[in-house]
This record gives sequence, structure tokens and C-alpha cells, in this order.
Amino acid sequence: MNQKNNLIVGIIIALVVAASYNVDANPIEFVKGLPNLAIIAEEMTQIDPELFGTAFWSMLETIQMAFIGTIVGVAISLPLSMFAARNLNSKYVYAPVRAILAAIRTFPSILWAILFVIMVGLGPFAGVLAIIMYTVGFVTKLQYEVIETIDADPMDAVNSIGVSKWQLIRYVVLPESAPHLISQLLYMFDYNVRQTSILGLVGAGGIGFYIINYIKFFEYGKAAVFMIVVLIAVLIIDWVSVKIRDKYIIKSQHGMEVTTK
Amino acid sequence: MVITQTTNPSSFSIISTKKIIQMNEVWTSYDSKSYVLKGINLSIDKGTIYSIVGQSGSGKSTLLKLMNGLMTRSKGTIKIDYQTPNMNDKKFKSMMHKIGYIPQSLGLIKNISVLENTLIGALPRLGKIQSLFKMFPEKEIQEAKKILKLVGLLGKEKRKIYMLSGGEKRRVAIARALMQKPTILLADEIVSELDHVTAREIMNLIVDAQKRMNLTAIMVHHDMQLALEYSNRVAVIKAGEKILEIGVEGDKIVDFQTGDLTTQEIMEMYTGESKK
Ligand SMILES: Nc1ncnc2c1ncn2[C@@H]1O[C@H](COP(=O)(O)OP(=O)(O)OP(=O)(O)O)[C@@H](O)[C@H]1O
Ligand SMILES: [Mg+2]
Repeated sequence: MNQKNNLIVGIIIALVVAASYNVDANPIEFVKGLPNLAIIAEEMTQIDPELFGTAFWSMLETIQMAFIGTIVGVAISLPLSMFAARNLNSKYVYAPVRAILAAIRTFPSILWAILFVIMVGLGPFAGVLAIIMYTVGFVTKLQYEVIETIDADPMDAVNSIGVSKWQLIRYVVLPESAPHLISQLLYMFDYNVRQTSILGLVGAGGIGFYIINYIKFFEYGKAAVFMIVVLIAVLIIDWVSVKIRDKYIIKSQHGMEVTTK
Repeated sequence: MVITQTTNPSSFSIISTKKIIQMNEVWTSYDSKSYVLKGINLSIDKGTIYSIVGQSGSGKSTLLKLMNGLMTRSKGTIKIDYQTPNMNDKKFKSMMHKIGYIPQSLGLIKNISVLENTLIGALPRLGKIQSLFKMFPEKEIQEAKKILKLVGLLGKEKRKIYMLSGGEKRRVAIARALMQKPTILLADEIVSELDHVTAREIMNLIVDAQKRMNLTAIMVHHDMQLALEYSNRVAVIKAGEKILEIGVEGDKIVDFQTGDLTTQEIMEMYTGESKK
């Protein structure tokens, strides 16, 4: 048993070393590069306060893009997940739906953004579409996994009444999976704000456009302003979603809510 | 699936009442390796209470699930009001609207209210649009409230299921089943974990509904005493076989039929059961 574990650890370490060699990952280069970081850090301290206004508005655009993308994406995911759940459909329905979803998930959002920039042109709309695609790919998967773990007892009980499949979804599947859905929505929004912040790299709108351009022209001080705004925004969103989660999800799952309306 | 019709000389006397449930040499299994029920024969009169008792794991819950089509038999014939249970059959599905089922685990939906859980029993009477938007007709809501009052949950309609006690949850499951306006009620150990007073309260409720609606109730019990007290007939299941069936009238046993076991074996089992 122990021998076997040692062997596995040994193999993993060997693989990491071999792969590092293949991709030229050299720790010495990293140490040599550290002084460069100091230069960037120093330049970053010379921030340009006049840019905070622009940064604020572009952050707002980023958040709006993420918001639309998340809501629309989740709205598409919800019905889609009903077709992908194995406990609600025959193989001929869920297998193709899952295959399409897997294909959607193979692209990171930045690739979707490039694709949509080609399709609809530069600007935030392409970014929104990319976020929608990414959200659909992931939330549908999360959601059908939740649906598949729904307690079989209420499903059986309601099925035994001879209700239609739509009634089963409306009265058992949705209420039983709703708390998870809210939690996924929050998580996805949080994640999408971060993602949208870099979509500007390929011209798909958002604050990333400024960051990449200032970095390109070595204006680290200006880029820093935008990065600080992203940091603050992400922290605020994180904090708010923790609050929402505490209030609506954790309590309702543990039955701590004692208000009787 | 092959249906083998074994002409077993039934030990039941033919009387004029309608046999609403009939099982003939029914075998079933979960894993196709071993049988959970082995050659069950039974026949239930319309409008009576039929109880099933037996040790844990003997196959009681499985027997109930065969009656509403949640389980499929491997061999033998089952007729529920002259139809073979099959969830995919349209005709049987409309029959299921009238079979109230209270599973051992109750099967309530935790995150919605008592009233909404009760109204689920009315779903077969609702149109597509109505059920999509949860637009229950006022008539149904009044009916649900009436039933909730009957089961003693008045004033708790808006509570979520997780805010109820075990006994209250059971009452919700009963209310949901009654909301179906059932002709058959399948109740799986609905009073097993309750104190004697509450258990009798709930049993009286079922008896009351049975009299009012000419309901046929098939109930699984843990307690032989309670079964004898509240049934017309009691079947005893052991390791998937029906070993005994007792007919009761008032506090008299009027009919006593044994299966393959000897009287000695039955008495041992019976005394073991009544000690609980
Ligand atoms: N879903 C299942 N898959 C496989 N085996 C099962 C399943 N459900 C029940 N069984 C087995 O079938 C047998 C009968 O189970 P059943 O639930 O009918 O017993 P029961 O008489 O209702 O017991 P209890 O009094 O404990 O509720 C048991 O041996 C059990 O292990
Ligand atoms: Mg059981």
C-alpha cells in the first residue's frame, strides 16, 4: 500500500520534470526575471488618478456584459438541462444534447469571443455572446448533475399520481433544484465578471481593452488604475454574493428560516 | 414480457363484491438475480381495508409498488380494476390519477409549502397552462384547505415542509393522496413511527375516508395489533411469500388461511411480531 503510494508520487514528480523540460519551464529563468517584476511594480506605483473615471465606466460596462451573459445563459441552460438529465429522458434525447454541450465547453470564453468578433464585429456584443456560450456550457452541466441527484422519493411519489412530464418538472424538479440554481447563478456571475475583464484582449468589449493597450505601450501606471478597479469590483461582488448565499440558500437548506408569513 | 397465467385454485370464496385488486402467482426482483416477492396470490374487495404485515425486508413496500406500477412484475398477473399496471400505458395512467400512494419515505417536496404539496394531488385535473403557471382553480384550493383541516393541519398551510414535525409531514402526505379523490389508497407504514394516540388518530382518519369515499385501502403495518384492529383482512409476508391471511370482523377472527408454513412456524412468527 505505502510502497504503491510512493511509486505513484515518484511517477508524478518524474512526469512534472519531463513536462517542464518539454515546455522550457526553467526555474533559473524565473529567478533571473524577478528584477523585471520589480521594475513593473515600481512603474505601477506611479498611477494616474485622472483615469479612475474612465476605469469606473469601463468596469460598469464589464459588469453589465457579465450580467446579461449570465442571466441569458442561465435562462437557456435551465430548459436545456431538462433534456440532458438522464433521469428525465431516454438515451436518444440526452446523449446528443450532452455531446453538443461537451463541444461548447471545449472552447474557453476567449475563443468564443474571437469567433463572435468575426461574426458580429468588435465591441461588447461579441463579448456578451461569448459569455452566454460559456455560461450555457457550464451551467447546463452543473444543473443536470443536480437534477440527477434529486431525491428519487418525491419523484416516485408524484409520478405515481400519473402526472405529465411537464408537471413533474414544474412541481418536483424545479423546486428541488432551485436552491442550487441560485447558487450557480451567483457563482457564474462572479466568474463571468472576471472573464469579461479579459475579453477586451480580443476587442470584445470591457475593461480588458484598456489594460491590454496600456501594457502594450509600457504604461504600467495607467494599466494599474484599471487593474485596481477590477480588483475592487471583484472583491465587492464576492462579498455581496456571500451575503446573498447566506441569506437565501444556506438558511433554506438547513431549515433555519422561522418566519411564518 | 411473458405473462404466465397459472390457474391456482384460489382459496377465496366468490362473493358478489368487486375484486378491485388481484394478484396471481406474482414474482418480482430488483436485480434479476434473486426474487423479492415469490408467488404472491391475493385478492382485495372493493371498499375494504387490507393490511400487510411482516418483518423488515420481507417485501411489503415492493408489494405496494407493484400495485401502482412503480415496480414491474417478473412473472404472474396483476389486475388493478381489471387493468395491468403499466406506467407507460395511457389507460393505466388515468387509473393512477385515482390511486393515492403514501410512500414509506413520504416523498414530499421540501422547499414548497404544505398547501402546494397538497395541491399536487389535483394536478391530473389541471390543464397545461394552469399547471405551468400554478394557477389552481379556487375550487381546488378550497378543497385542499378542507382536506388540510380534516387532517389537522389548519393554519399551517403556508409552512414549508422542513418546518414540520414527523407526524405533521405524514398528514401532508395523506392530504396529498386524499386530494386525488382516490378510489384506492396505498399507505406504506404511515403510523409506524408515531405514538399510540397519534397513530390511532391517523388510522381513524383513513377509516373515515374509506367509509365516506368507499375507498379501498391497502396499508402496510409494522404492528400486528394495529393491523388487526383497523382492517378487514390482514396478510402476513415473510421473505417474499405470503404465509398467512386473516379475515377480521370486529374483534373476531373469521377466517384464517395459511400458506406453505406450518402452524407452529406461524405462531412463532406471530408472537415475535406482536411483542414489538
Ligand atoms: N431499490 C432496490 N434495489 C434493490 N433491492 C431492493 C430495493 N428496494 C428494496 N430492495 C430489497 O428488496 C427486499 C424487500 O424490500 P422492501 O422495501 O419491499 O421491504 P419491506 O418489507 O418494505 O421492509 P421495511 O419494513 O424495512 O420497509 C429487501 O431485501 C430489500 O433489500
Ligand atoms: Mg417498506
